[in-house]
Amino acid sequence: MAHYSHYPNYDVLSLINEWDDHTKEIVLKRLGPFPEPQLLEEKEVKMLRLIAKHLCYDNRDDIIDWILYYVDQRLKSNIGENQRKSTTPEEKVLIREGVKAIDKATQTKYGKTFISAEISEQFEILAALQLGSAPLIPEWATIPQQDLFDKLLDMMIGAYYSHPTVWSEIGYGGPAYPRGYYRIELGWTDPWEPRRPGAAKK
Amino acid sequence: MENKDPLQHNCDHYDGHRYSDMKCRKYGDQEVDVCIVGVGAAGGVLAYELSKAGLQVVGIEAGPFWNPQTDFASDELHSYSLAWQDTRLSDGNDALKFGHNNSGRGVGGGTVHFTAVFYRFHENDFRVKTIDGVAEDWPISYYDLEPYYQKIENDIKVSGPKSLPWGTFQGPYPYPVREPLSANSQIFQEGCEIRGIRSSVTPLAILSAPFDGRPPCTNRGFCNEGCIPNAKFSTLIQHVPKAIQQGAEILTDSMVTSILTDKKGKVTGVEFVHDGQIYRQLARVVIVSAFAIETPRLLLNSATAQYPFGLANRSGLVGKNLMVHSGHDVFAKFDEEIRLYKGTPVMAFTQDFYASDPSRGFVRGYSLNAHGNRPVALAKNLAVDGGYWGKGLREVMLDFNFYGQVSLVGEVLPREENAVSLSNEKDEYGLPRPLIHFSYSENDNRLIKDAIQKANEILSARGGKPAFVIPDTGHVMGTCRMGIDPENSVVNGFCQSHDIPNLFICDSSVFVTSSGSNPTETIMAIAARTADYLANKMRQGPLA
Repeated sequence: MAHYSHYPNYDVLSLINEWDDHTKEIVLKRLGPFPEPQLLEEKEVKMLRLIAKHLCYDNRDDIIDWILYYVDQRLKSNIGENQRKSTTPEEKVLIREGVKAIDKATQTKYGKTFISAEISEQFEILAALQLGSAPLIPEWATIPQQDLFDKLLDMMIGAYYSHPTVWSEIGYGGPAYPRGYYRIELGWTDPWEPRRPGAAKK
Repeated sequence: MENKDPLQHNCDHYDGHRYSDMKCRKYGDQEVDVCIVGVGAAGGVLAYELSKAGLQVVGIEAGPFWNPQTDFASDELHSYSLAWQDTRLSDGNDALKFGHNNSGRGVGGGTVHFTAVFYRFHENDFRVKTIDGVAEDWPISYYDLEPYYQKIENDIKVSGPKSLPWGTFQGPYPYPVREPLSANSQIFQEGCEIRGIRSSVTPLAILSAPFDGRPPCTNRGFCNEGCIPNAKFSTLIQHVPKAIQQGAEILTDSMVTSILTDKKGKVTGVEFVHDGQIYRQLARVVIVSAFAIETPRLLLNSATAQYPFGLANRSGLVGKNLMVHSGHDVFAKFDEEIRLYKGTPVMAFTQDFYASDPSRGFVRGYSLNAHGNRPVALAKNLAVDGGYWGKGLREVMLDFNFYGQVSLVGEVLPREENAVSLSNEKDEYGLPRPLIHFSYSENDNRLIKDAIQKANEILSARGGKPAFVIPDTGHVMGTCRMGIDPENSVVNGFCQSHDIPNLFICDSSVFVTSSGSNPTETIMAIAARTADYLANKMRQGPLA
């Protein structure tokens, strides 16, 4: 998977000494190392890893490790999930049973497990989930396909775009406390912000 | 570095030491004058104004007492812990999102993580039935709230323009506008000008100059994530510390589970849970200020033999007429870098499409706000609400800095079928989880379509290529509306319940219509007016 970036020379982490301690601690934890998953089992982790790569369109294991750690922590927590449809199971069940169902749907369609399926086949299964048109198996009666897809997206995309490597690539200035932004008008950047190669220093 | 669970329901406060409220309760078993359930936008104002008036006040808050300097971070993912994350069941054709999108948890409530857009309602917002023949009229007019709008703006030093072209109040605001404008707000104003649409710099509850020991804004844009330097107002840093100075007690990490009543049918206090233990707070007056979902939930859950359908519910309207604002985000791609992450999210707006215009095919209207954004929120919304993922999402996000954004705040009309009720599922406190049902009406959908078109016209006029529209909502209102007729409303114009004179409901629940304006200033003005009324009444004797 190729990644162009408008800001190939920018590394948001080079600014870390300018951040407040609390933010610094939170962001650095996303770089690992991560403990073993506390809730998810080995097969679930393997499948979720592949799913995360497809959803985020990224193969870098260090970033995917953070996503899996985040998902594991979320599912272990009892805090709540903001909202859920009354007919949808809670997120722990939705994801764990959902992963099993994805595996079964893959076997139904391709005669192989999700993990052993071709990348294009894995992709097709996920794309079908989004449309609610995955191969028909009884599990979909209790695990709504689109809710499963949206829940996986919500968690994984949230974690992915909180990773500092991804911030650098998209040219996000990142935490700016205590110093703040001063040149916020069109065409202006603070001296430390991401700049495209050759862009005027304004 | 050791990885700890990044998600905690209760957060340590006072520099990492959790303060055990229950060991040193000021009032304990004593009956106080007023108990306020929920210390957010309304509860904070009520606590301050009532304690200043010499009343004994206890505020009870389900979440923690945040310390911005140690609990907040300049990080989106971390900021979700400031939200009310408890699961709510959400159904309907347009099922609502909760949590960081609209509801806070902890002292300050939603004001801890709002964009601080501070609009007054317009005169016509209070007279929708008279003017447009839909919804209901409020029992109060703009002029009833006017002195309280002014008081609140002055109390927190709202920064805003010298003059505004819309509404009854046209400025000036106590503090000057914040300058310079962000690139996104600049292009918005330029686009408006090309199209002949009037626009203005936005009035904000964010300081443009020092005030009360707080610094002016440094344009980091982390308003929705909790403002660490305290440049942005919240009742957490503004009203609550002053209320405590005046003698108010704030009990935190305490979930109120029911309102208590006596044989005469009056309320006597509340029951709440702290660390698994049940406590009571007796009070002469109870004010429920717990958000437009938890307020009706608590009233419905406090049903007794005398009030089998819940407290204050003679009309049957507790939980009904739930409203939100349609808040669709409209994006266009520019050749130049806009950098949506810089500056406070909203710095320019227009209300040229606010009032009804018969030629549009729908009633009522909307505000359009130039709106900033950050990577996690944008990517999640693009994915879950926009259907983007994989390569498509990655490509949009790699061009993150080239997008401009306009968000609408669209009026949604009240309908009884949009409602909060109690589900059969129980939460960690043994309370029924709220079940929310929401669908847009035909009028709402036409309004949204028109607003999206106008936002695209503005962005296109300035050279943006329309890119995508992400459906979104904000601000939850209604569910315990105010009115004159006890059969057709829950509280009177002073937020006093029609059925039980010493039970008040004071938050966005009492809104009769939603308007096309961000609601926080109106919530606070209503709270200040309610406090005035209540303090005067209590000086005269028991409420009857």
